This record gives sequence, C-alpha cells and structure tokens, in this order.
Amino acid sequence: MKLLKDKVAKLSFVALLATVTASMFYTPTAAAHGEKSQAAFMRMRTIHWFDLNWSKEEVPVNDTMTISGKFFVFSGWPETVDKPEISFLNIGIPGPVFIRAGSWIGGQLVPRSVSLELGETYDFKVLLKARRPGDWHVHTMLNVKGGGPIIGPGKWVTVTGSMKDFKNPITTLTGETIDLETYNLDNTYFWHAFWYALGLAWMGYWMKKPMFVPRSIAVESGKADSLISSTDRKVAMGFAAGTIAIVAMSMSTTNEKFPVTTPLQAGLLRGIKSIEMPVTSVAVKVEDATYRVPGRAMQMTLTITNNGDSAVRLGEFNTAGVRFLDSNVAQDETGYPDDLLAEEGLTVSDNSPLAPGQSRTVQVTASDAAWEVYRLADLIYDPDSRFAGLLFFYDEAGKRQLITIDAPLIPTFI
Amino acid sequence: MSASQSAVRSRAEAVKASRTFDWLICFTLFFVVLGGYHIHYMLTGGDWDFWTDWKDRRLWVTVAPIVAITFPAAVQAMLWWRYRLPFGAVLCILGLLLGEWINRYLNFWGWTYFPVNFVFPSNLMPGAIVLDVILMLSNSMVLTAVLGGLSFGLLFYPGNWPIIAPLHVPVEYNGMMMTLADLQGYHYVRTGTPEYIRMVEKGTLRTFGKDVAPVSAFFSGFMSILIYFIWHFFGQWFNKTDFVKSA
Repeated sequence: MKLLKDKVAKLSFVALLATVTASMFYTPTAAAHGEKSQAAFMRMRTIHWFDLNWSKEEVPVNDTMTISGKFFVFSGWPETVDKPEISFLNIGIPGPVFIRAGSWIGGQLVPRSVSLELGETYDFKVLLKARRPGDWHVHTMLNVKGGGPIIGPGKWVTVTGSMKDFKNPITTLTGETIDLETYNLDNTYFWHAFWYALGLAWMGYWMKKPMFVPRSIAVESGKADSLISSTDRKVAMGFAAGTIAIVAMSMSTTNEKFPVTTPLQAGLLRGIKSIEMPVTSVAVKVEDATYRVPGRAMQMTLTITNNGDSAVRLGEFNTAGVRFLDSNVAQDETGYPDDLLAEEGLTVSDNSPLAPGQSRTVQVTASDAAWEVYRLADLIYDPDSRFAGLLFFYDEAGKRQLITIDAPLIPTFI
Repeated sequence: MSASQSAVRSRAEAVKASRTFDWLICFTLFFVVLGGYHIHYMLTGGDWDFWTDWKDRRLWVTVAPIVAITFPAAVQAMLWWRYRLPFGAVLCILGLLLGEWINRYLNFWGWTYFPVNFVFPSNLMPGAIVLDVILMLSNSMVLTAVLGGLSFGLLFYPGNWPIIAPLHVPVEYNGMMMTLADLQGYHYVRTGTPEYIRMVEKGTLRTFGKDVAPVSAFFSGFMSILIYFIWHFFGQWFNKTDFVKSA
C-alpha cells in the first residue's frame, strides 16, 4: 500500500512539474490592448474619435494603409486626468507589426509630442507600412502625459507576405540610401564582440591562475602583495593603455567616417491647427440619464431645440467609440468595426423631423451588448459617475450636426 | 576519515579540488551578478539603454555610468580585498552585457520584432577595464574611486560613439529634420512609450553650445566617484564573514 502511495505521489509530482513547464512554454499571441479594461469615464469623457476610416483590411508586407478621421478633445475633460497639453498621436498595435511611416494632425507632421486644446476638434491621419504578417488589431490612440494612453476604436487588419521581404529605405541628408531595418547592424555586432572579447581576455588572464582558496590563504596570512607580480602590472598597464588608445582611435576614425552628425531631435509642437466646426443650430439639454444594469441600456431624457431653418432628426449617439444608430436616419457606410457598431441600437421615443423653431422632450435609449462587452457599464464604479458623448443630428438635406452632451448618470439595478 | 583528517590525500588532489572550486565559484558568481546587476540596471537606466533614440549627448551620458558603476564597485571590493583578484568590474560588465544581449535578442527582437539595430545595449567595457586596472595598480579604494570613477564616466560616450554615430546622421523626413535614431523611434511603434516620455536633450547646459557631451561626461564621472564609494562600502560590508560565524 505504501509503495502504491509513493508511486502516486511521485507521479503527481511529475505531472505537476510537466504542467508548470508546459504552461511556461505556452505563449499565445496577445491580440488585444486592454482597451476594455480602461476606466469607462476615460474613454467617454476625454477623446471622442469619429469619422474613422481604415483604408484597407488586408495589406501585403511593404504596402501601406492609412487610418484617418477626427477627434474631439472633450470640453468636460475629467479633473482626475491631466489635460492634453503634452500628448502624442500614437497607434495601438502589438509591437512594430507596422511601421509608422507618417502621422499628421491638422495637416502637420507630428513625430513629436503636441499640445492640444480642450473643446477643439482635430483631423488626423496615420500612414502605416506593413511589416509582419498576421491578423492585428489596429487602434487609434492618443497618449496624454499624466493621463496615460487613451485608446480609441480598433479594427482587425490582415498583413500578408513575409517579414524577411520587408525593406525600409531612407535617404540621409548626406546622400546615402540605407535600409533602416538592418542599417549599422554589422558595426554594432563588431564593436560589442570586440569589447566583449577584450573583457574575456582580461578575465582569462586572471582565471588561468589559481583563484579563490590559495589567494584567500595568502591574503589572510598577510602575503597579499605577493599575489600581484611585475608581469601582472605590465599586462594591466597594457590593457589600460590599449583600451584608452582604442577608444581614442575608434572615435577619431568614426568622426572621419561620419563628419556630419546631429543631436537627437526633441521638443513640443504647439499651435496645432484644429478644424473650424460649423456653428450648430440644435441645442440639447439632458434632463436626466439612467443606466439600466440588467437591460444593458442607457436612457436619456433630452430636450431638443431646433434653432435652424431645416427640420432635424437624431441619427447617432457615439460614446467611447461605440456608435448607436437609428437605422431610419443614419447608416454606416465606412466599414466601421462590427463590435463597436449598434446599427439599430438607438431608439428615440419620437424621432419625427423636428421643425425649425420647435422644441421637444424625448426619451432616447442606447442599448447594445457593447455596454457590457466594452465594460462601459463599469462607469457606475468610476469616481466621477458622469457620461458624455456625441449626438449627430441630420437635416432634410442630409447635412450633419455634432452636439456634445455631458451629464450625471444614475444606475438602476431593478 | 575523522574530522581532523584532510579531504585530499596529495598536493595534486588539493590543486585539483581548488581549481574545481574556482570554476564553481566563478560560474555561480557570474550568473548571480548577471541577474542582480541586470535587474538593477534595467530599473535605473532602462529606457536609456533600450532604445537608440534615448542615447543622447546629455542624459544618457550622465545617467548610464552613474547607475552602472554600482555593482562593479561592490564586486571589486569583494574580489580585491579578499582575493587580490582585479576583475570585479569586468566580470560585472561581462555578465550584464550577456544578460542584455540575451534579452534584446530573444525578447525585443524575437518576441516583439524591434530591430536589433534599434535596441542594442550600451558598451560599458572600456570603463570597466580601466577601473579594474586602476584598482590593481593603486591598491587604493580612494584612488580607484577618484581616477577609476572619473574614467568610467569619461570613457562611456567615446566608447559608444563608434556604435551610435551612424545613427546620428541627419535625414529630412516629410519636411522635418531628424536623426536616423529619431526616425527609428518614430517608425518602430512603441505603444507604451510615447514620445514625451523620452528624456533627452533636457537640461540647462546651453552655454556650452554643441559641445555638451564632454561636460555631461565630466559630471557623470564626478557622480560616479561618489557612487563608487558608496557601493564599494556595500561590497565590503556584504563581504564580511560575520554572518557565517554567527550561523
């Protein structure tokens, strides 16, 4: 019986070891970027991305695609997040599976950080060149100093081909054309190998002699000075002089080879041009807003006033990149990601055209599983339980107006 | 065999046992130092060492030697005062560079596809060799701290210049001038490292015009002197046999 128990114990231990080892070698691809984990109020009340377009869904290696659109820097920016006075237009991808060949805000190239103004809308474009094959979730993203990465909507893009074919040719101001993917690699390997070999030679010189026990005995018995011979001193001086000479010579020859070098470039880009948004003729007042937890639906009571000269209807509510549409008024024709699109997710108690000069109070319901899937329902656990978003109204000619809303949100649990 | 008898029966056996012990200790020490020093250096010098677009003439030159001279000072204290072995600094840098290269090659390139020419580590070997030689020739902690620490800081930038200079060639890109290193940082997307995190070209050394690197190197050397003292004492303190005796 004891023998059996021992065997079971041994086998269990082996199985445990095998499991732990197997789990260490199991490294699945990380496809998402934690966008759902970011606090809901961060996504709802900071940067509102809209009119987004991913130019391609499949790109061969070396080919390019763009992500373009607009973002509104929300006027009611939360107090708990630093304002976007130092920001960086980034892209949310799993490592450099694309290279960022260019990025622009308001038509200006933005390789550096930028200063953005609250309440302004900016257009942007990011040019990506495909580098590594695979299916990648490509997000818009704005990093804000003191606020962290504010991730926008993402769409799956497939890169085809082979990474070994990837080339990144650049022509320098000295007239040389190089491939940035492999440039300077041999030089880097050479110098590191050279200095490593020199370090090993120094170590080897001492390691070929007896080391710890006899030397410790000698030091303990007061004969430490006898352990360093005059040959040792000469060798050491040779190493030091050689090191300094090699450093001096290699620096000198490098300067001859590369006479034109410049320091790294850094700095904040100010004065980024925003879009002149048309003056709106629709006014919206949020009377109240509740989130019904079991129904995964947000209900708003809005008083809408049309001060324009054409009747309008509410077509879309956009918050945190999730678009709730009234399909009778607006449809998506841009290939927006399915998981972020509720094509019939917006219900308005009376969405008949609101005539000029009229005012109407309506119940608006934005319902979709996206509330739960994208963890926007977690807003009720945030420190500042307010919601915000963009409302898009359409007039009879199909002209669109953008209105922002920002109000407290009351959860209902029954 | 009683406790008073020797474990070896001849001088040849004693020499063999001693050499085996040497190799065991060297092997263990190398990897212990590699692990500890690597973590320390990544936590304190991290991004400056990771990316070419952080390797500037001001902060990288200043920070890297200051945070790098720590373990060499401590290991020197142990190997020199106990064994008169003058390879503490080189042993540390060999360990650090091996660890860094494994990390850069397998993690940065193998897992996340950053090109190696963008993520290679800094070269710290020239300063380490000089530091070891000065300790050996002077047999003085003070001289090693002052001359060796200063040399460690001063040799850092010129020791790396042959590797990074090609990446400081300027390029015009969509109407802006940048270096090839800047362009690497822009092209190879780092989601978690936005541009504003980059600590380069900050400071007030503007009165020195373009010749900032030597000033930064001198300051780094000066600070390395102080850090050398502190870590040398750490090494001496940890190297005591009191712990063994009390056990």
